[in-house]
Amino acid sequence: MNNRLREYIDNLFATAPSNMKAVEVKEEILQNLTDKYNDLIAEGKSEDVAFNIAVASIGDVSDLIRELQGLPQQYSKMAEDNEKQKQRTALLTAIAIGFYIMSPVPVIMMQNEIGVVFLFVFIAIATGILVFNGITKSKSQPVPDTMVEEFKEWRERNSGKNQLQKAITSAIWAVGVVIYFLVSFSTGAWYITWVIFLIIAAVEGIVKAVFDMSK
Amino acid sequence: MSIASDLIRGHTDTIILAQLQNGDSYGYEINKAIRDKTENRYELKEATLYSAFKRLEEVGCISAYWGDERSGARRRYYTITPLGRQTYERLLVDWESAKHLIDKLIVTEESK
Repeated sequence: MNNRLREYIDNLFATAPSNMKAVEVKEEILQNLTDKYNDLIAEGKSEDVAFNIAVASIGDVSDLIRELQGLPQQYSKMAEDNEKQKQRTALLTAIAIGFYIMSPVPVIMMQNEIGVVFLFVFIAIATGILVFNGITKSKSQPVPDTMVEEFKEWRERNSGKNQLQKAITSAIWAVGVVIYFLVSFSTGAWYITWVIFLIIAAVEGIVKAVFDMSK
Repeated sequence: MSIASDLIRGHTDTIILAQLQNGDSYGYEINKAIRDKTENRYELKEATLYSAFKRLEEVGCISAYWGDERSGARRRYYTITPLGRQTYERLLVDWESAKHLIDKLIVTEESK
């Protein structure tokens, strides 16, 4: 019977936006209707009569639905934030790529070790910008403003952890690449220094395992 | 619901606040109390009730929380805030004066 009432409510709110607020209102109304229905049955009404009385007591929900549709004002602010963030990411990425492209120029111009040092400085700056952007970027998607609070917290906690993991991973690779070039240039042992990449991959695996375990 | 529900509808907020004066409650219980008090002559439609809850919550007259699930059903309880109590007192005064005025205006010598 609960299903019949639920179906009815679902149909009634078919045009409502499917955000958490709407789900809550629906659940609340359904709970009340179920209480009412059960009371009517207890009074000796037949199932059909009880269903009809319960359904009749809902009234006109068009205003309620309109209110629910009017709700997403908080989202527009979030969308704005997202837009800003996108622009910032684009700018920072462009600058970083600029540094990458420019990095061999000192080597070509100076033809000595100082040029190589500049090459690394450029690469370090560019990588730093990218990592900084990755860490400070919040991965927040517009979340309907109310959901069961615990779920929200759980989700936040989790995404916070994921972000940290991603940041650490990208830092490992950036630092690893710098180490690879530094070691290779200083020792000239290019034939063996590629092992560093294997080590980086191994470290990344360990970091991932640690995060998975703590989840 | 034979009596003039249109006249009552304007006082939905006051009615709900009045029910919450006696303690936290949820939609069905509030509506049931209203029905009992009026001896089955008046009750709020679900839609009216929830529009009112939303409105009162937005202006800070009531606050809501999900009840304990152990009792079987998951209910959203409402509690009246200090602002809600103030509002209730004000609405009560408004109603008293309105009732007084309306009585003066619509009751004629003949109908007495």
